[in-house]
Amino acid sequence: MNQSGSQSIEQATTAIQAQPDSKTRRYDRQLRLWAASGQAALESSRILVLSASATSTSILKNLVLPGIGHFTILDPGTVTGADAGNNFFLNGFSSIGKSRAKEALPLLKELNDSVDGEAAVKSVEEILGSAEGRQWVKSFSLVITHNLPQTPLDALSKLLWEELEDPPLIVVRSAGFLADFYIQFREQCIIESHDETAPPSLRLTKPFPALQEWATNLDISNIDPTEHAHIPFIVLLIKEADQWRSEHNGSLPKTYDEKKEFKKHIRSRMVKMDEENFEEAENQAFRMWSEAKIPSDIAALFDLEPLQQPISSSSTSQPNGVTKSPHKLNPEFHALLQALHKFVTSPDGPGCLPLSASLPDMKTDTTSYVKLQTIYKDWAAVELAKFKEILKAEYPDLTIDKAVVDSFVKHAHQIKVLRGKRFGSWEEDKTAVAQALDSYPQETATRLALNALSTLLHHNPDPTSITAEALKTEVQSQVGQGVELPSSLDDAVGELARAPTADLPNTAAFVGGMIAQEAIKMITKQYVPVNGYCVVDLVESKTGIIAN
Amino acid sequence: MAAVNGNATSSDWDDRYYHIDQILDRPGPRTDPSFQAGDDVKKFLRNKCKILVIGAGGLGCEILANLALSGFKDIHVIDMDTIDISNLNRQFLFRPKDVGKPKAIVAAEFIMNRVPGVKVTPYFGKIQDKDEDYYMQFNIIVCGLDSVEARRWINATLVNMVDDDNPESLKPLIDGGTEGFKGQARVILPQLTSCYECSLDMLNKPTAFPICTIANTPRLPEHCIEWASVLEWPRVYGDKRLDTDDPEHINWLYNIALKRAKEFKIEGVTWSLTQGVVKNIIPAIASTNAIIAASCCNEAFKIATSAAAYLNNYFMLIGTDGVYSYTFEHERRKDCPVCGGESLDITVGKEWTVERLIEMLVEKEDIQIKRPSLSTSKKQIYFQAPPQLEQATRPNLEMKVSELLEDGDEITVTSSTLPFNLSLRIKYT
Ligand SMILES: [Zn+2]
Repeated sequence: MNQSGSQSIEQATTAIQAQPDSKTRRYDRQLRLWAASGQAALESSRILVLSASATSTSILKNLVLPGIGHFTILDPGTVTGADAGNNFFLNGFSSIGKSRAKEALPLLKELNDSVDGEAAVKSVEEILGSAEGRQWVKSFSLVITHNLPQTPLDALSKLLWEELEDPPLIVVRSAGFLADFYIQFREQCIIESHDETAPPSLRLTKPFPALQEWATNLDISNIDPTEHAHIPFIVLLIKEADQWRSEHNGSLPKTYDEKKEFKKHIRSRMVKMDEENFEEAENQAFRMWSEAKIPSDIAALFDLEPLQQPISSSSTSQPNGVTKSPHKLNPEFHALLQALHKFVTSPDGPGCLPLSASLPDMKTDTTSYVKLQTIYKDWAAVELAKFKEILKAEYPDLTIDKAVVDSFVKHAHQIKVLRGKRFGSWEEDKTAVAQALDSYPQETATRLALNALSTLLHHNPDPTSITAEALKTEVQSQVGQGVELPSSLDDAVGELARAPTADLPNTAAFVGGMIAQEAIKMITKQYVPVNGYCVVDLVESKTGIIAN
Repeated sequence: MAAVNGNATSSDWDDRYYHIDQILDRPGPRTDPSFQAGDDVKKFLRNKCKILVIGAGGLGCEILANLALSGFKDIHVIDMDTIDISNLNRQFLFRPKDVGKPKAIVAAEFIMNRVPGVKVTPYFGKIQDKDEDYYMQFNIIVCGLDSVEARRWINATLVNMVDDDNPESLKPLIDGGTEGFKGQARVILPQLTSCYECSLDMLNKPTAFPICTIANTPRLPEHCIEWASVLEWPRVYGDKRLDTDDPEHINWLYNIALKRAKEFKIEGVTWSLTQGVVKNIIPAIASTNAIIAASCCNEAFKIATSAAAYLNNYFMLIGTDGVYSYTFEHERRKDCPVCGGESLDITVGKEWTVERLIEMLVEKEDIQIKRPSLSTSKKQIYFQAPPQLEQATRPNLEMKVSELLEDGDEITVTSSTLPFNLSLRIKYT
């Protein structure tokens, strides 16, 4: 062992002990997905789950483990032998006859000490029957139901569609191998969609001053060979583009032949074989084929009017004589969006999204890479400052958390806005249903069959009354007599008639995982939740989306 | 254990299988006519079927719970790991007090306590400790592993076990895997469907940084971390093994990497990134594991009971943007080194040295090997170990392949990371 080696050990052991605290270690594998900001959102969330069925406790398990703030199980029932057999969060035989909510509660809570939980042994009808109860439901950040009967479900979904700020509702239904779910929400504004399909522009066709300067000052033919092999591809491409423009009336390669020619030029500047930076420049030349533009899905967001509470709405109407200006949903996000619009259209701006400070790895030496990174970072800071100026000028009264503004600008290339629909509105649109039956027969048939099952069980809770014929007749009456039903409907109604009230452990676990994923996306506002009906068929191990 | 589950009234009660029996008492419209609804199928599932779960981690915990509730009563589980605090965000059978204990044993006890009448037999050790006789006793094997190497081993073992004269020797293998919001579940019927090895090229190869970048031109924080773990650790500590589970070791690497990063003005070296790079950490959450484990157990249930057709043969899920899934039949590869009948052809330049051939093999995505040794039935070409043999065959590295082998010659490739001998046929360009 040599001298410098033992020195570095000494230095290392006297250096910072930075091992994270136990909470960070516990959540390490999920923090790598949604970071501290997502975790904070989870920890401040309060979730209400209606029923302590096997599916409901599966959902809760997957939310308690990553550390939501609070959950309440609303369930008036007592544990039956059937419950004790299919629900992992009951104590088997010894739970029979006791409250389902109360028996499940401690077994869920013990999964994570930092999560607060409560059992409410009440019926949903009782809760919805009082103003206090309705307000209580609205105090949660998310409400989830599993196999809630039609009447209370309709009342609940209407209640949570009254005001813009009402919590999202996830409606889950399952029987045997089949299931579906729907998320009712007004608007989901996502800054970190984690969508990497369209990475941020490197501005190669429209270099900012420091980058252009580097390329301009580079004398490529008069440079030592080691340095030559380490010029970053970014600089090589800008240099080549300048040359090309000067010979082609200021335009970049357009045709196939021109592009080929451009690549040939790059290759011809190699001074020896296998200069990897030049190979990289050739492979990355596609970045020069189109100007840095605003992605069309982002541009479409600029026309989006914020959702407003109608003045006439019963729950927000003010006492006579008082007029209140209508308030808007997600005002901060929409302000950021409009500031972004101003930024990209500003005559002294870049005409595209703000520069991202992040740079891909490339074949170059440390000094050049660090230099490049620094000029990107510096220019990104300049544009961020400009964005903030615009934001302040446009919305002087609005204070938005600095971290949110920074994140918005950093992720401007991946922002998304989803607009949801009221639960059940799809079924009211007979044309949409008929079209879906045509385009997605299997998924639509399953969804309609589950609707029919819900209706039939509502009229007669005895599962032996459910037959394939009765389900089919009900589906036909719901879609209209003239509509032709696909043959896959026979599969769906047959499977439901086989197991109309079965909450199978595997289906419960599967759906439990999916709903928890969606709930996490809704709460953290990261990644993109389902907008439409998600249908699950575990006979064929398939999922599909309709009505999106 | 007996005290917990010994009470007959508490281990079977009226309506215990109310939900499952709706499926087992009658067929559905898509059920195969061979399905024997009623008592026979229940008896087989609950009294006879013996199932093995490999892995008691993120997927394993979920798989054990689902199988137990589905009515499997004789479950075995193998896992060589002990419980770490970072498991607790998803491995729901473990509590903080269990940190340091063997996963297989804690998981088995938990299941037996929670689901009366189910017997879970744990084995705390490696799958490689067990022989064919051991694997022969099971009806179905469900695999929830995070290691490619272990999966390749069990896959090759089960494929080799198939004996055409003994139908019992074909053991369905159900394999699940997850990464963040994504995952997959598949059913492998050895020798009948595509096997794990057939689909090896679907894996993302872990990013490897060239040594010259690490040593001379670091640009990313990862390069500094690799410098600390790949170059500095062996230089300073010699043969002492780097234990990536030891926080002291990670701390040392972190500080060394941080120092190098400062020297080169590179930003972004953190403790968490250091740990992530050296342990090759894959993000993992409870919900994705729940979906994939449920899918695996649903297939195990369908195979055991014939209550519905099982998956043919691959289910893939991406949950980052809505819910996207794709169910398809992955095709067998005729030249699969494990289950294919044909040997794999490789095309080699006439001028290639043996060393270049070895480099090419290491980079080949569909075989994924480290440190291969090469031989033919007649001669030794190059051996990585033992040292005497390595020394004796080392001169061959610089020889041309075409001086040692003729067109069409078969070579055997062995490697410690390869659970079988790979046969390759040399073709010259
Ligand atoms: Zn194969």
